Amino acid sequence: MQVFRAYFKVMRGAVASLAINFVVFIGLAVLFSFIAPQARPMGFEQTQVPVAIINRDTEGEISRGLTQYLEKVCKVVDCPDEPERLQDALFHRQIEYVAIIPFGFSDAFVSGEKCPIQKIIVPGSTESYYVDIIINRFLDTVNLYKTYGGTGGSDSLSWIISSAMDDLQVEVPVTMIGQAAVSVGYQTGYHYYFNYCAYALLALITIGVSTIMISFNEPDLYMRNVCSPLPRRRMNLELAAGHTVFAIGCWGILMIGGLIMHGKSLFEAGVLGLYSLNTLSFTLVCASIGLLIGTFVRSQNAQQGVVNVVTLGLCFLGGVYVPQSIMSKPVLAVSKFLPSYWFVKANDAISLLSDPSPQNLGAIHTSMLIQVAFAVAIFSITLFFSKEREA
Amino acid sequence: MFGHVFSYRLKCLVRDRDLVFWTLIFSILLGTMFHVAFGHLTTESEKFQPIEVAVVDNEDYRNDPSLQAILEELSSAGQNHMLDPVYADEKGAEELLNEGAVSGIITAGEPVRLTVKEPGIYQSILKMILDEHLQTTKTVANIISRNPQVVSDLIEGMQSENGYRRDYTEQISFSGVVPNINLVYFYALLAMACMHSGFWGLRNAIDIQADLSDLGARRSVAPTHKMVVVLADSAAALVISFFEILILLAYLSLALGVKFGSQIGYVMLTCLAGCIAGVSYGSFIGTLVRGHEGVKTGILIGSTMAMSFLAGLMWVDMKYIVSVKVPFLSYINPAALIADAFYSLYVFDTHRRFFINIGMLCLISAVFCVASFAILRRDEYASI
Repeated sequence: MQVFRAYFKVMRGAVASLAINFVVFIGLAVLFSFIAPQARPMGFEQTQVPVAIINRDTEGEISRGLTQYLEKVCKVVDCPDEPERLQDALFHRQIEYVAIIPFGFSDAFVSGEKCPIQKIIVPGSTESYYVDIIINRFLDTVNLYKTYGGTGGSDSLSWIISSAMDDLQVEVPVTMIGQAAVSVGYQTGYHYYFNYCAYALLALITIGVSTIMISFNEPDLYMRNVCSPLPRRRMNLELAAGHTVFAIGCWGILMIGGLIMHGKSLFEAGVLGLYSLNTLSFTLVCASIGLLIGTFVRSQNAQQGVVNVVTLGLCFLGGVYVPQSIMSKPVLAVSKFLPSYWFVKANDAISLLSDPSPQNLGAIHTSMLIQVAFAVAIFSITLFFSKEREA
Repeated sequence: MFGHVFSYRLKCLVRDRDLVFWTLIFSILLGTMFHVAFGHLTTESEKFQPIEVAVVDNEDYRNDPSLQAILEELSSAGQNHMLDPVYADEKGAEELLNEGAVSGIITAGEPVRLTVKEPGIYQSILKMILDEHLQTTKTVANIISRNPQVVSDLIEGMQSENGYRRDYTEQISFSGVVPNINLVYFYALLAMACMHSGFWGLRNAIDIQADLSDLGARRSVAPTHKMVVVLADSAAALVISFFEILILLAYLSLALGVKFGSQIGYVMLTCLAGCIAGVSYGSFIGTLVRGHEGVKTGILIGSTMAMSFLAGLMWVDMKYIVSVKVPFLSYINPAALIADAFYSLYVFDTHRRFFINIGMLCLISAVFCVASFAILRRDEYASI
């Protein structure tokens, strides 16, 4: 078992790179678990668009009524009346709509003069359209009461506003069918975690496996090993055992990480087995890519560059960092030729799985088998070219 | 002597292919990945599109003229075009919803019902439209019960050309720019590339210290004044990194179409200030941190990545969150200052914020330079 022991001695040289990648992954996993919503919505919830209200007509009753109504149906974000701060918040989508109620708005509204509410928006955006409907709906209702509500003591503005508020509480019943969490906006924390596993597995396994292969393929060391009494088959078997133990070890650590961070929700959803199997399939792909890099790349410096390019390329194009649902069709068409696409596709399907019927599971198993096929293909290419080079 | 040291240093640095990869090729590749992954997501993709909705064509619907009128009004071409209805029986409508071909199903009845598969903005708009139908009915009923003599006026008013609906809003703009949030990623990428100029600064610091490299030892015994060597080395590093950043800038703006505004002079000034900050930071790490080259490189990569992360490279909201929650951090993070300088040039008409960023960058660079030189000067080695 000299080769197997040497394997892990050589691996110590790559510990710093492995540790950096692992820490980056854990950092991202924690961050995105924190960002992801903790609970799935049980019923229909109306979208609450983030709105900044700048009320310069604080004394006006209609302005106050409108502000109160917006506070009920939108997510009102506290923002100072400073153009630079408002512009910043709008650019970064912390707010989608700035509604500036001008001074004297209520008086102008009552007397029928034109005094529009100024809005600063992402031009033509759906969210701004939605808030327009909300504002116009409120003021239309107030206007109806003002115009036709009759005159008399009780027809004060406060009565009009409270009547309008009352009417605007009437809602149609909404029924949800299928699973409530289908929306991209409701991805679970563990879904993010397992998608980011693609990055961690790629970085860790390709660095580890290629480091070993570069060392063992070093011309002097290679020739010395060839003339040693240890049979080639034995040496290759021990190397393969080392790769297997290392790759399975990386997979195991990431699975334990997933269990620690999301164990409860994973068991509740009953999808741990499927995620583990999918991640294991991708582990095979990573090991085969590591072998390929280790066979063709000669220096440690070049290895760092190649590993980074391969890892980032597969993650970006496969939909690890940006959801496949928002990627463009031409890019997705190319991505289908990458194993990371099938890994993410299977993960997405698992996260949406509400009914583990053979039909639903079929698509997930197909994605996993495609990954295994990729691994076999990459491994075969590596074997073919290394034999060619030896010859 | 300065020219001699400068030209040889320039040749020496350019031939370091590993560093050229990390300071130029890597940024170009990352920019390409960004573009491929979300370059198509412009503000166009946020624009409102008429909502595809299934309407159950049953007895109740055929007996509800007001709902028919609303759907007809909102589906006709023009400013009010909000819906693209598809009429189907109940089963067909459900199939359309399950396939994702429609956002919801409208079923007439007492009251009218909405069926959806998931919550979302389009579903909320559908609900608002149907809510309005019920709410207006209630408002009209309230008015008539209180003031019966206005019935004819009310009906006439509601059926007039514009109906009772008005648009009470008016769009204004602080500046004419399109607020495309994805630009922040590319600005942070340029900031990262500027900070990666630190690799050149680090290489210089290693090649001038006798206890760190053979070359450093050889150069330490040369009669050239150390100040001249340091300045020539730094100038060579700065020329290379600035040239690389200009290549990256040209690639981002010309090939990928990233917008930087029209003030090209100020954009280049930001690149230059960013390169100075990067090179001086690399020299600072190279002189301050004691230990093996690998340790210095690790610290440089780790810290520049952390700075870039806080400038929004990995998560676009991070830059804004830091600027609101911990503004102090935004003022001492060179990557955030560089990214914000590009951002403020693109977004704002005034240059107040831009010059604050550039001023802070110059100040930080000066601190790094002074600290590096204070450590380097009059270094003597009893034994190497």
